[in-house]
Amino acid sequence: MLDFKLAPQESDAHEKAGERIYDLIVIGGGPAGLTAAIYACRARLDTLVLAGALPGGQPANTDMVENYPGFPQGVTGADLAQLFQDQAERFGARIELDNVMSVDFSSRPFSVSTYGVTYKGRTVIVATGANPRRLGVPGEDKFYGRGVSACATCDGFFYQDRTVVVVGGGDSAIAEGLFLTKFAREVIVIHRRDELRATKIFQEQAFANPKMRFVWDTVVEEILGDETVTGVRVRNVKTGAESVIETDGVFIYVGMEPATEIFAGQLELNEQGYVIADRRQRTNIPGVFAAGDVQDPYYRQIVIAAGTGAVAAMEVEKFLAEQE
Amino acid sequence: MALLNPDIQNQVRELFADLAGPVQIKMFTQDFECSYCKETRQLAEEVAALSDLISIEVFDFVADKDKADELGIDKIPAIAIIGKEDYGVRFYGIPSGYEFASLLHAIKWAASGRTELSAAGIKFLQELDKPVHMQVFVTPTCPYCPTSVTLAHQMAIVSPMVRADMIEAQEFPHLSMRYQVMGVPRTVINDVAHLEGAAPEPMVLDKIREALAKS
Repeated sequence: MLDFKLAPQESDAHEKAGERIYDLIVIGGGPAGLTAAIYACRARLDTLVLAGALPGGQPANTDMVENYPGFPQGVTGADLAQLFQDQAERFGARIELDNVMSVDFSSRPFSVSTYGVTYKGRTVIVATGANPRRLGVPGEDKFYGRGVSACATCDGFFYQDRTVVVVGGGDSAIAEGLFLTKFAREVIVIHRRDELRATKIFQEQAFANPKMRFVWDTVVEEILGDETVTGVRVRNVKTGAESVIETDGVFIYVGMEPATEIFAGQLELNEQGYVIADRRQRTNIPGVFAAGDVQDPYYRQIVIAAGTGAVAAMEVEKFLAEQE
Repeated sequence: MALLNPDIQNQVRELFADLAGPVQIKMFTQDFECSYCKETRQLAEEVAALSDLISIEVFDFVADKDKADELGIDKIPAIAIIGKEDYGVRFYGIPSGYEFASLLHAIKWAASGRTELSAAGIKFLQELDKPVHMQVFVTPTCPYCPTSVTLAHQMAIVSPMVRADMIEAQEFPHLSMRYQVMGVPRTVINDVAHLEGAAPEPMVLDKIREALAKS
């Protein structure tokens, strides 16, 4: 079936620096950021969302979402992302597909700079989310985008009737592994433990799928190949035994890293790099709030990201009222 | 049945309300329509119907070979987006899914001849003295891909030396094989340099420099 997606088109990237001060700048266009925008716009706050190159955040990159309430039949991640965006825009959010390169939280109004434009906001919600963690093994960089991927919906097609390896044992690894069985001849899940961490329903589906095979207690040490990926060198963590598993592609789902590089030195981060926020989503800087996966090392769920986005926006409203 | 539902039609119509000038869509298919040729033609016709400023001509790849040669069309389904001049903006394969946004962008930019590239980028591209051919491989389900496609198309619009093609990898498996496409977006420049992922403008410009140094 064909579908047609509209991305937000209007861009006013040439806005002069400092000309306009937004009530709220949301950095990030995933569930947390867009929910914050929905709440803020309904509170009649002048809101700018800097959504990065890919609006919708991680769900936009997910095949099916089956645990977001209100969608008993499930919803594709792309559709859900689009619905969040439509809802935010309906209430007047301005969404720019721009990456934030730097921020200055040292004085108010805060400055948020993209490539070439600096925006000013009386408050900021940091909702930059998290990015897939890489393995950090030889061959990974060389083959990234050419046999190594973190996006099964993008690249699954290229593995028709081939063998792929999925590294990881969480929800993403198993859900994306199941998606890959639509294309691949065999999907080999390599996991460092002897059981999966994924939700039970995913586990049941995975174990019942004849195309899925599991290699337990094993880590990938190197991605092998000359021009294209031919295999992975692996090590059993219990026996120490090394071996090579032949494969045409490697999909890596070994967790996420918070996208907090640009905030280092300004926002308090924990030792894993997550923004430290309290129950009211406040950071160490008054007027700067954080929501979603960027401040959540534990759950990383769409519904929770959306919830913290709503909290942050309500706190922004309160904060601005107190300033007046 | 229409490919575009009434809701999408309305949004696109609204988007086209401020088109800066006329745009021609030249669509190439053939008598016995290839896989997705029919849908691509229908899509092009439906999009063209959403603005008085957009005209469409449908050509037969075989019977209208002269026209195909003139526009450098070497495979179908193909769409050439032409504004005041032929900027070299092409779509091979159907721009569905996320790529529909790339098609709308291309029309908007071709209408005005203006883009959102940086001043430094535009200067570099306008001073090119050798041809640059950018082929951006995509799948319709790839949310990162329009970033690469729209960047390449903007580069084509600002520079007479640059041609930029979106290529839907699933419809042209021989090209995907030839260019070893195993992930998208993948941008191939002059057949000698390639770039994986949705890279920002400065990185793409560096790749063009690298390609020109090699060719």
